[in-house]
Amino acid sequence: MQPAVRTGRIRRRTFVAGAAGLTAATTSGLLSGCGPDEAVGASPESLAAPPATPGPKLGGIPYPDGYVGPVARKLGPIVTEPTKFVVVVPQDLTVGDWAKNKFTKWLEQRTGITIEFRQIAGADEDVTIKVNAMIAAGDIPDAFMGVNFSKSQLYLYGAQNLFVDQTPYTDKYAPNLQQMFRDYPLAKKLATSPDGNVYVYPSFNDCYHCRAGKSRTWINTRWLKQVGLAMPKTTDEFREVLRAFKKADPAGRGRTLPFVGYKEDGTNQVTVDKFVMNAFLYNPTSPWLVVDGGKVNAAYSQDGWREGLKYLRTLYAEGLLNRDAFSMTAEQLQRAGNNKDGPLLGVFQGNYWGSAMDVDVEDPTARWHDYEALPPLEGPDGFRVANWDHYTGFDPRLVITRKCRRPDLLVRWADFQLDLEVMMAAYAGPGSWSFAKRGDKAISGKQALFGISGTWAPDKTKDTWAQRNPNYRSGDFRLSERVDPTKPTFEKPLYEQTRDRYFPYRVPIEQQFPPVALEGDQAALDASLSLDLSGEVVQTMARFVTGKGDPADDGQWNDYLGRLDKIGLRPYLDIQQAAYESFQG
Amino acid sequence: MTTTPAAPERESDDYLPAAVKETRADRIVLICNYTALGLFSLAVLYPLVYVLSAAFSEPRNVQSGEVWLWPVGLSLESFRSIFDYDGIVRGFGNSVVYAIGGALLATALTLLAAYPLSRRDLPGKGLILGLFLFTMMFNGGLIPNYLVVDRTGLLDTRWAMILPTAMAVWNVIITRTYFQTTIPEELAESARVDGCSDIGFFWRVVLPLSKPIIAVNLLFYAVAQWNSWFNALIYLTSEHLFPLQLVLRQILVQSNVDPSQVRDVAELLRMKELQEQLKFSLIVIATIPPLLVYPFVQKHFVKGAMVGSLQG
Repeated sequence: MQPAVRTGRIRRRTFVAGAAGLTAATTSGLLSGCGPDEAVGASPESLAAPPATPGPKLGGIPYPDGYVGPVARKLGPIVTEPTKFVVVVPQDLTVGDWAKNKFTKWLEQRTGITIEFRQIAGADEDVTIKVNAMIAAGDIPDAFMGVNFSKSQLYLYGAQNLFVDQTPYTDKYAPNLQQMFRDYPLAKKLATSPDGNVYVYPSFNDCYHCRAGKSRTWINTRWLKQVGLAMPKTTDEFREVLRAFKKADPAGRGRTLPFVGYKEDGTNQVTVDKFVMNAFLYNPTSPWLVVDGGKVNAAYSQDGWREGLKYLRTLYAEGLLNRDAFSMTAEQLQRAGNNKDGPLLGVFQGNYWGSAMDVDVEDPTARWHDYEALPPLEGPDGFRVANWDHYTGFDPRLVITRKCRRPDLLVRWADFQLDLEVMMAAYAGPGSWSFAKRGDKAISGKQALFGISGTWAPDKTKDTWAQRNPNYRSGDFRLSERVDPTKPTFEKPLYEQTRDRYFPYRVPIEQQFPPVALEGDQAALDASLSLDLSGEVVQTMARFVTGKGDPADDGQWNDYLGRLDKIGLRPYLDIQQAAYESFQG
Repeated sequence: MTTTPAAPERESDDYLPAAVKETRADRIVLICNYTALGLFSLAVLYPLVYVLSAAFSEPRNVQSGEVWLWPVGLSLESFRSIFDYDGIVRGFGNSVVYAIGGALLATALTLLAAYPLSRRDLPGKGLILGLFLFTMMFNGGLIPNYLVVDRTGLLDTRWAMILPTAMAVWNVIITRTYFQTTIPEELAESARVDGCSDIGFFWRVVLPLSKPIIAVNLLFYAVAQWNSWFNALIYLTSEHLFPLQLVLRQILVQSNVDPSQVRDVAELLRMKELQEQLKFSLIVIATIPPLLVYPFVQKHFVKGAMVGSLQG
């Protein structure tokens, strides 16, 4: 890398490199713009200290039996003399001003490490623009925290020697992370780039209900009782239920929406296929990649997909699926869900009740209590699977750059935050939580470990880090939150219904396409192909389902397959196959 | 809206049949015109009224779709909750500073650039104007700009909001044309005969004659600053410097997340509530200052922009 002069005249080379970086932030010429006159890379003393030993466990804490997760230990300061790092973070309304946040001060007092925060506002795309500008301009901080680098970006910047391989530091100074990697070997696998290096101090969140969240679907059980039918188990029974809803018209004046499809906020994905398709083939939802005996494939070009489309088409033709199933917005769904003079919705797909209506946890008769999770349906051929995300939970959290002189201290600072007490202070705010008493019941039904004052973390006091920092939220940890019997949240029913209705039918992990890292030029190709393909898939789905086309017609189906080929389904799958094989090692 | 001036009376007079026929056609055109214009103004007005009504309604009623024209369940709750977020209050203050500061500086620069360019006796005028125009068509792009702001030490200061791209070439051209058409060369000559210097002429004669174009510039620049957020996103990294638009955007984007990615449902719920509460009241708050300023500047505005646009 060419070291440029930081002060004084800007070199032409820097300009050119910068401009190149703007058009293609993934080109390797990008780094020639950086390289300030300060020494680059970790100082030798970074690995001089002896390995860190975890402090003794604190006593008197009611861990449930067989608990796997973060524990509370005796902690001492990391440094004795004032040490400061520059860390770039995304702005967060819950955190407020990072510099003035209560937990920021709390952590500084305990670790001795001061962080100068640089805050970036806006959506993920905005943060990416700003981060790319910083990197291209050589304005590089010691670390990025909570910036959502994709696996491909981590790999790219890591291979360019901009991000530091943290393995030597975490091996020596991060006992809590080592513990997490032992508890969840998958976390380590997901954190590792194809070159075997780990360019990130990850966060892991073993969110049980999230695993079924992409396809979870809700049915109005009050209406089910009203029409005298049981929870549907097959696609035929499902159709019967919808017909009964339509006939009984509980909403009145024909306003009943037996099965509603809409477009998700944020992702802009349609939801029609997410649940029903799993009665015909495994549908992991966008980008619909599946692994079939070690071979990567796209669900939307399979026969099962075609059968699913035929089924959905009949629902639409009978008026069981709403007319605007492909254009209804999430806001319109909320309006329907919250309709004043009675519910309008029979069945809707959504992560949780709040996807379609207000969730009032204090009112035991609130409408959301009427809706229960609908288990996956059995198709005409006896196929049934629950879309289950085995890989959820990994987040890139702390990325250390080569500008940082003491990566060991930042790694220890991150590891400090995996301590149970520190993690709780960051999550709920210092002083806004407490350990549970013996006998308190948790979400899991077992002994509770901790409780948060109030229903959940306070929002206006600016004393949490809103999970933007390294976390180790193991399954046991998450489920050992105390349930206040007088004010139950929805966490418990969400957990129980996911456990009883989706987990038994979960798809095997071998069939799920894992999160992979792609090399620079492949990542760009992947992005454009993936966009074009999903556009074609959704458009054709809409045409087939709404009756403008007929999936049963061989000509039309083959036309669709032909269009996919023309866009480049084959090269797309080849890219994924290579990345998959490299992931599996 | 539906009054058709003069036309009906003439029709009833009925002594010029040809004219009657014409007025009937005129009337149809007029009715069509008014209907079309009425529909247009409704289309413009409705969102404004809706936002106002929604801001003053109970958030729950907005959510359930009951508000469609007038407020339902009058409530100031959403305005009150604005003040719980010091980022919003501070952002408002910052935006005022950036708008006023930016407008003053930019207007001063524009006048100083436009006046010399309007004078026929300025040597090399074409070249200077050409250079200005060049920057209007082409610019270095994001990263070179970032480098400049970084190396000049403006990064993460209030100046980063005001200095880069302070002057708009478009405004310079409008202002130059205004000078050319309203300040005759003869005026400058006679001033010179009376012993007035160029600077004196600019200060004592040109500026007092240019109130409309000054008002236009101030308004253009102030509104542009008030609405801008991208420079703040790129150049600012301290929350206490963020302008209102950036805070507003943050509220909108942060509550608009992919639900399957959210591991903490409580977090999602909290953001949803926040957005429902603040969305409309924030839009109202963010729109008020330009609305307040506009009537005072408007009489100059129409005149100034029109005159400036007469000749290219």
